[in-house]
Amino acid sequence: MVRRALALPSGRIAAGILAAIALLAILGPFLAPYDPLAGGAEILAGPSGAHWLGTDYLGRDVFSRLLDGSRVSVLGSVQVSLVALIAGVIPGILSVYLGPAFEWVTLRLADTLIALPFLVFAVAVTALLGNGIPQAMFTVGIMISPLFFRVSRAATLSVARSPYVEAALISGASIGWVVRKHVWVKVLPPVAVALANTAGVGFVVVSSLTFLGIGVQPPAPTWGGVLAADLGYLSFRPWAPLVPTALIMATVWACNLLADVIRDVSGPTFLLRRGRNVHSQSA
Amino acid sequence: MRRTKWAALAVGLSLLTGCAGGAAGASDEVPTLRWAVTLPAHWDPVVSGSGAQFRILSLTYASLTEINEKGEAVPSLAESWDYNDKGDQVTFHLRKGLKFSDGEPVNAAAIKAYLERAKTQKDSALFGDLTSIKSVTANDLDVVVDLTQTDYQIPLLLGERVAQIPSPKAAQDPAALDKNPVGAGPFVVTENVPGSHVHLTKNPDYWDAANIKIEKVELLSAPDTATIVSGVQTGVYDLAGLAPNQVKAAEAAKLDVVIQPGYNASNISINVNKAPFDNPKVVDAVRYATNRQEFVDKATFGLAAPTDQPFPDTYLAYDKETANRWPYDVTRAKSLIAESGLTPEQLKVDLVIPNQQTAAEIIQSQLAAIGITVNIKVDPNWATPFFAKDLALSIYGTTGRESPVQTLTAHFGPDGPLNLSTPYEPEGFEAAVKVARETPLDSPDYQKNLRAATRAGLDSRAIVFTYSLPNLFVKSPKVSDFAPIPGQLHWTGLTVAS
Repeated sequence: MVRRALALPSGRIAAGILAAIALLAILGPFLAPYDPLAGGAEILAGPSGAHWLGTDYLGRDVFSRLLDGSRVSVLGSVQVSLVALIAGVIPGILSVYLGPAFEWVTLRLADTLIALPFLVFAVAVTALLGNGIPQAMFTVGIMISPLFFRVSRAATLSVARSPYVEAALISGASIGWVVRKHVWVKVLPPVAVALANTAGVGFVVVSSLTFLGIGVQPPAPTWGGVLAADLGYLSFRPWAPLVPTALIMATVWACNLLADVIRDVSGPTFLLRRGRNVHSQSA
Repeated sequence: MRRTKWAALAVGLSLLTGCAGGAAGASDEVPTLRWAVTLPAHWDPVVSGSGAQFRILSLTYASLTEINEKGEAVPSLAESWDYNDKGDQVTFHLRKGLKFSDGEPVNAAAIKAYLERAKTQKDSALFGDLTSIKSVTANDLDVVVDLTQTDYQIPLLLGERVAQIPSPKAAQDPAALDKNPVGAGPFVVTENVPGSHVHLTKNPDYWDAANIKIEKVELLSAPDTATIVSGVQTGVYDLAGLAPNQVKAAEAAKLDVVIQPGYNASNISINVNKAPFDNPKVVDAVRYATNRQEFVDKATFGLAAPTDQPFPDTYLAYDKETANRWPYDVTRAKSLIAESGLTPEQLKVDLVIPNQQTAAEIIQSQLAAIGITVNIKVDPNWATPFFAKDLALSIYGTTGRESPVQTLTAHFGPDGPLNLSTPYEPEGFEAAVKVARETPLDSPDYQKNLRAATRAGLDSRAIVFTYSLPNLFVKSPKVSDFAPIPGQLHWTGLTVAS
């Protein structure tokens, strides 16, 4: 699937952008030319050779703050995705096999979580458990997990009653073996699409929360925090919000593009088209 | 701040869709002032206290006295007053024929009921300001105030911040009064939607109604500071408070930037009863580590002036003798930290604030430079632990008081609401304040005695003053100029062109 995705131009673009963002998250703090927390006398300065993106309201180098802040933003998104994946996929598959009681409980729980606004809930949880990205992102991950629950449950249901699966079970195969051998390959493509989408959602959520001052303590930089600070000084640096906005938009767009690509390359239309091409080439 | 950002989004959308523009475009049938404010959480002056919200409450409540441009007490509900020879009794003579908006008469009994409630009500935010008042006697229109000590500050004290008088009938139910104000001020509330808006119309029974030129006031919940200027520019608001970082935008939009004089002073509030500030060397280090000019430059864009006292350096009580007593000296601060014997782990402290503030980050970086690690914690319910004196470190910005002695006792007194280190008070302060209190305001010694009290107060380790920023407002050019009353907005004579 990865090879098929990267064979498409849109797949290569999405992967390229996300790889660049990942590199920023890993190397950003080391690449920053200045201490992102150190203020200077020159506040709200425009771009210059010394400060490529100017300085903020405390005289801190904005470029360094964006580089340093990329790690928090990316890790937050990754945390949301992983929590949602684990909390959604495992119960989603098990709900088909562990009997009606487990199925009823997990379905009602998923319905309940879907009904709650996750951003507001994340704000409430940080108010209760303290202002930090891990607790906020864990909450958002749990709130998003019904998406994975439903996707994985639907894919599991589609194969659980297939003749070959029933034959395997009658032949004495364990449920674990059936899941590993037959179910997982059906679940993986839609889960991969959901994962890419969730990464984008997670990024928006991290940016939104840090924009509102939730999740990080000053003076730690984040993309959302830099954007929020810039909005207070539009009369001094009207162009300044464009840079963090572009970073956030590019990342979310790349995640969504990747989701589209995965959906396309794993869908029956793509495989059929690919099959026809192969057939015509061999004819 | 968080809530205002959500509100900013809503206002932005309304501006885009033209809803607000429609309202602004409609010509007012009567002169109406649209004022963007943080709507008061409390409308009962006793509960609201003497903070900045008194300016909003002054729309609907008249006070016993007012101040003029020089900061001197002048008549309001009381048309005159006189002291006995000893200075421990003052009699206020009320105007005749006044009534509250519910029809109750404005008389001495109403004033007595208010002052007694302010001294005794459980949730009163004013009882600490009224310790000089022993008893009140009502004689028709004469209010006789007996004092616990000689105190010539009372006419200044009983102004807009401490003595906005509500109807005694309405005050029989303080909870209802706290939601629906009933006063004898220039306007009467006609509609109050909490969190949204408050509408007021002119009170024809106000004692100076002839000089109130505005017929209606609409208080609107203020959006994020970044959208205030566009709100005034598009006519959604006529008047709003202005953050220093928006002054340039307001000037570029050709709006009127009002720099109203005041007694404001911001400070770093320290609790000497809590570690690490129970070590005097750490407090001294903070004093030397404070670079006031950085606050002026970065938090106020040069609009403020540095101050190391609880008022600007132009104020009557500012003590020039002790000016710059703790100059900015990082080297000395570092050596004091070394002398304190505390480890880096012991030098970690939470700075608790109600919302994100540039000043907090400046304090964080200045204290980091001397080895104190400050963790900024934003607590929307900050007021509760602050006034309960439960915090180790915070910041506060006073809007001042009409009575300079009240300013001093609020900051340095053992029960001062702004003294985070209660019951701590600097040695000699009480005696110095007593002398200032006992000095008639027209005495040649008044200023000297006030300054001596300031000097005694500045020994306090509980507070480090940083800068004094005047009150900033932005207004539409169709609103006339405000009288330059220090710290206050007076409605008499103010006009709004249609």
